[in-house]
Amino acid sequence: MEYRKKDFGSYHLHMIKSDRFKSLMVRVIFRTQAKKELITIRNFLGSMLVLSTKNYKTRRDLVIKLQDLYALDIKTTNERIGAYHHMNVYMTMLNEKYTESGMLDQSLDLLQEIIFHPNVENSSFDQTSFDIVKKNIELNIKSIKEDSNHYAMIRTLEEMARNNEAYGDHGYGYLEDLEKITPKTLYQYYQEMLKNNYIDIYVVGSFDFLEMEKLIHDKFAFYTFKTNPIPAYITSTPAKKVNIIKEEENNKQSKLCIGCKLVNLTSYQIKYPLTLYNIILGGGSDSKLFLEVREKNSLAYTVRSILNKTDNVLLITTGIAKENYKKTVKIVKEQLKAMEEGNISDDEIEKAKRLYITALDDINDSMSKIISSYYMMELLGTDDLEVKRKKITQVTKEEIMDIAKNVKIDTIFFLEGVKSDEED
Amino acid sequence: MKKIELNGLDATVYHEQLENGLSIYLVPYQDKNNYFITYATRFGSNDTIFKEKDKKKETVVPDGIAHFLEHKVFAQEDGSDPFAFYSKTGTGVNASTSFDNTQYVCYGNKNLLENLDYLLSFVDVPYFTDENVEKEKGIIKEEIKMYDDIPEWVLELELRKSLYHSLPIRVDIAGDVKSIDKIEKEDLYTCYQNFYQPKNMFLIVAGKMDVEEVLEVIKKREENRVNQKEVPKKKKYDEKDEVVSKEKKLKMKVELPKIGYAIKVNTKKLSIKDNFMIDTYLNMLLTLGFGMSSKFREEARREQLMSAFYFQKEAAEHFRSLVIMAESEHPEKFLERLKDEFNHLELKEEDFERMKKVWIASEVQMIDNVETTVDNLYDDILHYGKVFQNKLELIRKMDFATLQIMIEEIDFNQSSAVVISPVEEKKENEKNGKK
Repeated sequence: MEYRKKDFGSYHLHMIKSDRFKSLMVRVIFRTQAKKELITIRNFLGSMLVLSTKNYKTRRDLVIKLQDLYALDIKTTNERIGAYHHMNVYMTMLNEKYTESGMLDQSLDLLQEIIFHPNVENSSFDQTSFDIVKKNIELNIKSIKEDSNHYAMIRTLEEMARNNEAYGDHGYGYLEDLEKITPKTLYQYYQEMLKNNYIDIYVVGSFDFLEMEKLIHDKFAFYTFKTNPIPAYITSTPAKKVNIIKEEENNKQSKLCIGCKLVNLTSYQIKYPLTLYNIILGGGSDSKLFLEVREKNSLAYTVRSILNKTDNVLLITTGIAKENYKKTVKIVKEQLKAMEEGNISDDEIEKAKRLYITALDDINDSMSKIISSYYMMELLGTDDLEVKRKKITQVTKEEIMDIAKNVKIDTIFFLEGVKSDEED
Repeated sequence: MKKIELNGLDATVYHEQLENGLSIYLVPYQDKNNYFITYATRFGSNDTIFKEKDKKKETVVPDGIAHFLEHKVFAQEDGSDPFAFYSKTGTGVNASTSFDNTQYVCYGNKNLLENLDYLLSFVDVPYFTDENVEKEKGIIKEEIKMYDDIPEWVLELELRKSLYHSLPIRVDIAGDVKSIDKIEKEDLYTCYQNFYQPKNMFLIVAGKMDVEEVLEVIKKREENRVNQKEVPKKKKYDEKDEVVSKEKKLKMKVELPKIGYAIKVNTKKLSIKDNFMIDTYLNMLLTLGFGMSSKFREEARREQLMSAFYFQKEAAEHFRSLVIMAESEHPEKFLERLKDEFNHLELKEEDFERMKKVWIASEVQMIDNVETTVDNLYDDILHYGKVFQNKLELIRKMDFATLQIMIEEIDFNQSSAVVISPVEEKKENEKNGKK
């Protein structure tokens, strides 16, 4: 594998050459500071770009074109990483060896069309496409409560973000923002994004460096103005007294979500000891929480801890019978305490390290993970794989205990299921 | 070992069947670090009534037993824990139960040989006690309740009940809270001894490996395992061509009505006889009629008739159901349009040819991933009894006339619809919102 980075002034091109794949992947990233009011409009834009274009006026026309290019896959996703919002446009294509020559050029042309030639007339997005996307987003937002597990996490984070930290804003978008969007304002935002966002293009697969560089350079002409970068990590202060919230839902199962804030951790602590802390506490099917809550006490089918490093937040989530609320909270607290008191065996630490290293070794088998790994080095200054491998093995038990001292329960959210087991 | 080259895919499958009947499939990759293994038995949630050779009467076990058994296969007599074993190398381990099979999988990029050997050893030796069976009930009940709260799951379940009179596919894979309570360790042993025998099982390994080495590990562990008895005959059910109910309505906590619609197809009534080709043409029918590039989808999008939408095909013995799942604010109108579409399918040959190209491209993409490769082989071995050497050729040779004949032969009126609509919110809930 060989990595080369090119500065094209307005954006960087990152090329990772690897002959292990039968496909090639391109990811175009638009990055800007995360703000609540941007979530909905960026979701909107992401859907619009792949619904229709200037030359392919309906989704059906566009899909037929994609299929003609041997099932070319182009999609957009939106995600927040710490203080930054990202819109990604992904393209995956088969190597020409399995299709026909000229496909790389034609596929990149379609990607270019999707990004630079949207379905716009008189500085305004096509109304028909606009209405379709608007309706879909509206329904999507309205159905947030249907996935109770996810809803419990969203509510916990909302409660935790007392100072409007970005993690309190969920990614579905908001109806009040949706109402304000028009085909015209959407187009204005589209132009603003192209002009003011940080842009990176990643390519991974089997290709010729010079040919790829020329293709991308010629087809993707961005002219951006950069603003000053901001820190990517978010920190926040925990509640003085644990905030307990209860809601009811017409479910058979109750959902418990415990939100913790991570306080005063250094960049080294976040990268390494914290990762191990999370794996040992609730990261896998062999974690403390899994063993205590599920295996020993039969309280739940799923229980895990989810770490969000860039937000300095850790969530513990499980589905239980409502009468087991107190018992479960007690057990979770006991396990947090056990971590703090150093009730962690060498075996647990060793296994957590192995899990981390296996995950590192998995990266090179996946094109999207390769890109992600290089991108995180750019965005967060993470170490490269070799350094990661070395540093993780050196983490000590004391360092993991130090993390535990800085994990503070902030919010306990309980979504009580009020439907009886027998009901249908 | 028999070598099967997968034409056009740059991949080879090595196949060996041991004397005790265990079938082994190995797919070596040169350019990957990782691997994916599955060890499977042809025993699933459908198999609750069967005839053992040495018994006069049919044996009947509680619903949900295959899934319960899957959980308990992880229990080990020496108190060791497969999850703990695999986490030593950061390897993933999991299991899943379906209607007609149960599989145990492990995946990672370290210690392939030891991990494979351990997978075989923990699945091959059962250890059930009254205590460990009792303890599992709480966990499985929470699993069942979790699924009961997921509208899409309930929709699929209700749809199967509406389609099938007697086929056991109409029962939830995990059983229900009551049937779980009836399960005892003796039931688990009965099922295990009958169905977890080498001749009823198969094993697939894909990834970076030395084929000879891997085979040696398997042989060492499996060659001397004997089949204790004949694999029981599973109960045969008579099933009518007609559906149970045409339309069913229920209420749940959903924001938007969810709709399930399915056509029941008796494949014995079709002129194509080969199961693989039947399934492939049925998939083509659904893809052309309701896929991303279909006219139906474009029109429904424009009329804002639906939001979420997907389709699938499900097999139950010689029946197939062609299933559409959607969300719509106007379920009646949507259903009307959908029925109309099925009854007036107008497919075009140029779309058919384009779709063949798309499928061939996807086959190449799928072989590039060890997990999807195992998934695809698994399906082929389980349902068609073989590895396809020339799948791309089979797709290339599909012809439009055959599809049209098939469409003529299907009775699209044999259909069931299920609609889940929102329950009225109780206002008190709002008050309890914050404390």
